Amino acid sequence: MAYYNIDAQTQTTYDAIVIGSGISGGWAAKELCEKGLKTLVLERGRIVQHVTDYPTMNLDPWDSELRGGLTPEQKKKHYKAIRSGWIGTDTEHFWADDEANPYTEVKPFLWLRGHHMGGRSLLWGKQTYRWSDLDFEANAKEGIGVDWPIRYKDMAPWYTYVEKFAGISGEALGLPQLPDSHFLPPMELNCVEKHVKGRIEGSFPGRHMIIGRVAHLTKPLNGRGQCQYRNRCSRGCPYGAYFSSNAVTLPAAQATGNLTIRPYSIVQSLVYDDTKGKATGVRIIDAETNEDIVFSAKIIFCNASTLSSTQILLNSTSDRFPNGFGNDSGELGHNLMDHTYRVGALGKVEGFEDKYYKGRRPNGIYIPRYWNVDETTRSDKFLRGFGYQGGGYRGGNPANIESFGGEFKDQILKPGPWEFFITGFAECLPYHENQVSLNSEVLDKWGQPTLSIDAEFKENEKALNRQIREDAVEMLEKAGLKDVIGFDKDHPPGYGVHEMGTARMGRDPKTSVLNGFNQVHAAKNVFVTDGSCMTSSSCVNPSLTYMAITARAANHAVSELKKRNI
Amino acid sequence: MDRRSAIRNTGLLAGASVTLPTFLSLLQSCKRETRLDWEPEFFTRDEAKTISTLVDMILPRTETPGALDVKVDIFIDKVIARTYEEQDQEAMRKAIADFNEDCLKNHGSVFNDLNESEKIKVLEAAEKSSGKFNPGIWGITIGNQEPVGFYRSMKAVAIWAYFTSREIGEGVLSYDPIPGNYNGCLPVKDVGNKWSL
Repeated sequence: MAYYNIDAQTQTTYDAIVIGSGISGGWAAKELCEKGLKTLVLERGRIVQHVTDYPTMNLDPWDSELRGGLTPEQKKKHYKAIRSGWIGTDTEHFWADDEANPYTEVKPFLWLRGHHMGGRSLLWGKQTYRWSDLDFEANAKEGIGVDWPIRYKDMAPWYTYVEKFAGISGEALGLPQLPDSHFLPPMELNCVEKHVKGRIEGSFPGRHMIIGRVAHLTKPLNGRGQCQYRNRCSRGCPYGAYFSSNAVTLPAAQATGNLTIRPYSIVQSLVYDDTKGKATGVRIIDAETNEDIVFSAKIIFCNASTLSSTQILLNSTSDRFPNGFGNDSGELGHNLMDHTYRVGALGKVEGFEDKYYKGRRPNGIYIPRYWNVDETTRSDKFLRGFGYQGGGYRGGNPANIESFGGEFKDQILKPGPWEFFITGFAECLPYHENQVSLNSEVLDKWGQPTLSIDAEFKENEKALNRQIREDAVEMLEKAGLKDVIGFDKDHPPGYGVHEMGTARMGRDPKTSVLNGFNQVHAAKNVFVTDGSCMTSSSCVNPSLTYMAITARAANHAVSELKKRNI
Repeated sequence: MDRRSAIRNTGLLAGASVTLPTFLSLLQSCKRETRLDWEPEFFTRDEAKTISTLVDMILPRTETPGALDVKVDIFIDKVIARTYEEQDQEAMRKAIADFNEDCLKNHGSVFNDLNESEKIKVLEAAEKSSGKFNPGIWGITIGNQEPVGFYRSMKAVAIWAYFTSREIGEGVLSYDPIPGNYNGCLPVKDVGNKWSL
């Protein structure tokens, strides 16, 4: 099945254009196509066909010559992203080329990008949690940033809608701060995780430990197979068991006959028509031919990823928008957020030496937020809160054992000691001064201005991190773990890969870029529904909210189009 | 602890009274031959012999294949040749030279020319003096990792190369490329050796 529509070479007018094919772009394409709109998806990189373009999906370590080791040339190509520690030869082809696509870190910031069809939906962590009114009301209650123009009741039906199609496994808990999804059966905790869960919940009333809620199928759904517990997700899943644009939304869009995907299409800017008061199209540079082409459409969805969508808007200047598309408020590029991460604790668990597990579960445990969820859990040290991910496994580092020789070799062929860890993800407040701006001094391979990123965590995030570490050590010690070590890697933003904000939603055009349906206040046929729209960052993983907010915006777009309002 | 001082400590400890581990008798029963029947990509032939001897002593053949049986030495040479940056390659060369220099100083010969019991003393001392790896989760090293020294680094690389060889990964460790389901609690004896993947 080819995603190409050969008409793309000649056809330049569509009903809708979607910029980007990652998690939110895939949803936009599916919803718009299913509602009958001829839709063009502009993808910066190459086509990645589900299954056939997953070259490493079945490789064992010994199948690749260097068993995952990167050559100096590969390291150079990914010299920024390599700091994540996640790039090996198994996924190298799904990470953007940092040399061709530079960015400037005014302060340290890790920007991980996937420049190909499906984007980071192939690489993401699949943790999927609903946000709650604790999140949507927080800014208004505390007078931070601006108020979200939406509440949980606006989102709840759309969460359900996307969950039914994406397939989310998990366990219902009935917690107000972490609303339950429409769930497939949960994955299983292992014996050590069950043990630690019992000890933590027994010692700390109000704290819960559950299996992660994830976009992995635990039962077949719509022709997709269930998880086979190989944990090779980031190479692409041959069963289509986890949610990616490639396996799930783009095939659905394709099935309507309304989809055209144009690869190698670097979006340069939106084209604005002042007489109509709206955008009329999108200007691209063909990455292979350097050709300049304008595509026209009635509505435009920006789903290039948080910073890339904002980069496009900043680069779309006109007499009406001299400081970037829709930037009447001056907030475009500002209020960049990411979750803090890599702070927590780990320790050893004794007493389960005769127990093991089978299967490589692509999931761990989750401890939902328990600070500042009501009056009794109020902290005087920080606003908002954090959740933990983690898990138990048999690990250890055999190289550390002070021994060598035959008996040593026999020893390390057996499972190592049980270890258990938790690492927190804390909410980051929106700060106006945490921002991105266009940099005309540094151009990309196609001569386009790049982004300068100037963001840092501040005192509230640091206070949250201190609490994460302190609570983590306390919980693991109370759970009876040995050799408990607390840690805080004190990393800069970006490492959480939950970058949010820079084109925030809001009620007032004077202080926000987008309205309650993700429309640019001053050009209502342009929708921005990726992470850039976020008004605050919650402490839970954002991707499910991107899916729901995109489906909701697409529904509104088509309804407004039919009413001739846009 | 830097790599250099780690190896110097090796010399200090070698003079102390150290109880020989029980497997010494096993090792003595078969004389170790330093063979080099392959052409190194990165190492000199002498360096390659040092590495071959080291990985053979760390992971010798028993009832299961040893490091040399699964070509751990040849793979390490290839990995250094093709994935190390130039300065890391130079550091590796210097580490081997330092290691041999310390053997020469403390035992009168470079590593490969020492007799079996002297080689064991060198490794036992290195086990004590070479630093440890900090624990890690999700590829993140916890805390500030001090340099671990040549011996520990080489041991770690050897173990990785051993576990990720086809012979060990498929034939010795428990290999299940498509588990199909997750069982969070079963007796270790139902699995046997640790999981390969």
